[in-house]
Amino acid sequence: MQRRSPLTRLRPWLLLGPALAVLAVLLLWPLVRVFLFSLQDYGLREIVSGEPNWIGLANYGEIFTDPTLWTVVLPNTVGFAVLAVACTVALGTGVAVLMASLGPLWRTVVGSAIMIAWAMPAVTGTYVWIWIFDADRGIFNETLQALGLQDEPVNWFTNRYTFYAIVLLNVVHHGFPFVAITILAGLLGVPKEMLEAAEMDGAGAWRRFWRIIVPNLKQVFAVVIILSTIWDFKVFAQVYLMPGGSGSNREALNLGVWSYVESFGQNRYGFGSAIAVLLTLVLLGITVVYVRTMLKEDEL
Amino acid sequence: MKKRLLPVAVLVTAAFGLTACAGGSTGGDDSGDVSAKGETLDVWIMEGTNPDSDAFFDEVGDAFTKETGAKLNVEFVQWADAHDRFVTSIAGGTTPDVAETGTTWTAEFADAGALAPIGDYVDDENLGDDLVEGLVTSGTYDDELYGMPWYAGVRSLVYRSDIFEELGLAAPTSWDEIVSAGEAIKAAHPEMMAFAVPGDAEFGVYPWVWGAGGEVATKDGDEWASGLDSSESQEGIQFYTDLALKHGFSSAGATTWKETDVLDNFAQGNVAMALMGSWTPAAIVEKNAELEGKFAATPIPGKDGGIAPSVLGGSHLSMFNTAENPDLAWEFIKLMTTGDFAAQWGEQSGYFPGQQSLLTETMSSDDPLVAPFATQLVDGGGTVPVTPKFGAVQAKKTTNTAIQAILSGQKTVEQATSDAAAEMNEIMNGN
Repeated sequence: MQRRSPLTRLRPWLLLGPALAVLAVLLLWPLVRVFLFSLQDYGLREIVSGEPNWIGLANYGEIFTDPTLWTVVLPNTVGFAVLAVACTVALGTGVAVLMASLGPLWRTVVGSAIMIAWAMPAVTGTYVWIWIFDADRGIFNETLQALGLQDEPVNWFTNRYTFYAIVLLNVVHHGFPFVAITILAGLLGVPKEMLEAAEMDGAGAWRRFWRIIVPNLKQVFAVVIILSTIWDFKVFAQVYLMPGGSGSNREALNLGVWSYVESFGQNRYGFGSAIAVLLTLVLLGITVVYVRTMLKEDEL
Repeated sequence: MKKRLLPVAVLVTAAFGLTACAGGSTGGDDSGDVSAKGETLDVWIMEGTNPDSDAFFDEVGDAFTKETGAKLNVEFVQWADAHDRFVTSIAGGTTPDVAETGTTWTAEFADAGALAPIGDYVDDENLGDDLVEGLVTSGTYDDELYGMPWYAGVRSLVYRSDIFEELGLAAPTSWDEIVSAGEAIKAAHPEMMAFAVPGDAEFGVYPWVWGAGGEVATKDGDEWASGLDSSESQEGIQFYTDLALKHGFSSAGATTWKETDVLDNFAQGNVAMALMGSWTPAAIVEKNAELEGKFAATPIPGKDGGIAPSVLGGSHLSMFNTAENPDLAWEFIKLMTTGDFAAQWGEQSGYFPGQQSLLTETMSSDDPLVAPFATQLVDGGGTVPVTPKFGAVQAKKTTNTAIQAILSGQKTVEQATSDAAAEMNEIMNGN
């Protein structure tokens, strides 16, 4: 290693300086504040008086000893996130492969169609699904009854599993276009020669997909999976707006709604901050694991 | 996404607010009666209560300036984000001088120390005896009045008078009569819901609890004790949920309905009887003009007759402790909540004035959609427990959860009510 002058060593930091300063103010400082709040019993009264109210790790203790967290909130959140990510990525990839094999005209048509699903605001989309599954007048129940599969209207929102099945449809419908477009972009970048060579060697479509396309798109998949995981972990509006989803059906609570109801609904900002800190750590953990596996496999 | 950003936004604002709190509030003590030339009074009013509020406040502004010399600056706030806006502005020390606060918020903000007591002003003007009692109760915290009664609304039993007439029914005056009317409607109009039992609407529950002689919660010394698991309350809740489960007057969908769903379905003509607010008739006619004149209201019957109390909702005008000139703020509050402007606001908004003498005037109205509500308000106005902690009970939807669990078959009335009572006790007696 040759010796570098101090200035050369400092130069990248000088260049990064302004951006880092902005980030520190905009991101780091709020994060630190949230952490500090999480160590306090911080409510409206503390906001008015401005006095801190330290209680150590009591907020974290309360979170971890709440039976609702372990029996309802976490299973719902994690189970849903796993299913939603798997379905979103699978469906998105399927659509991307389909679009890659289409001519320019049909690719544009399919592309615009799925863009509409993507562009629809989460709130609007949620209400559409609510109407479809409405117990008294929804098309789903009416069809089942017309087919004689069901005698009486059933309220699908009161059962934990049917509730989340509807949320899953909603979230996957809203989330797959992003995956499809991103993967399509990657697919179009896969060298044609490689695919043709494989075809000449007698590899079928299934095999070409797993042996050539998937390894080539590893980074794209990593990004898509990490982003989907983060989004599906934090899903809020799509649950909160569902009938019974805002807290009156306790079996349907997920992390987003639970933390809102328990903390901000009750002006317990310290408790909410503690949940936010934990959620950040969990998502950070997931991201680190993903990124490391991806990098490691690349090095091999 | 927006909801998740909100907490962060609150905290960030809080962070900046705390450092900014130190300044401000210099005592401009020129306690001259009402001459405040050059000053401006900032006021927050909820949007949508009065369809023509711009014109109304132009008029109020002129009168206010004429009387005090000060300018009036009214800002309209959406109900949906109002609570968050109050919290962030409390944090930032940027609260208005006077604001409309929902009856359940007044105690909460007073407890936080954000409001200024107004009891002395009310006493000075000898207004105390002429205020609607339920609103005074909800505006009082720690024996001090913080919320000036402005307007009130109440829920009563709203029914389709055309269908009652067709079947020769009279407005029910006891629980048995509700059931027999319901049976008759169900037989003649199977396509309609005879009585809507929404599973996500707590204010539809308490009248049955009170009507059976039960209590939501009572205070004994410093301890709150929920009465939802008493045998009287259970009887009331049993009757209410039986309307759906045993008599089949409601529907599967109603298990997850909120009050807005009740309103929508009533307006669509799907519902024959439901508990609805005194502010809803105008909305029903607006949604479906065909229903005009085809529905009426009656006070909610108690178990064996009489009137079952129903939660009195509405708004106070509250003075924030950041008000630079409290006397000026009070002048505005007085102008709004008494006399002509109070009466005019009630007429335009469909709510009842918070001043007893004005309310008595409205009671003499022979409108079938005004008089019964006024009777309910005066003779059967109830208040949910007045403690800031009850806001937490509402946020956690303790009562709604119990009703929904019964309606969806997850729990029996006994289980659901004792779980709800335990949860209520824990929250209301928590630190």
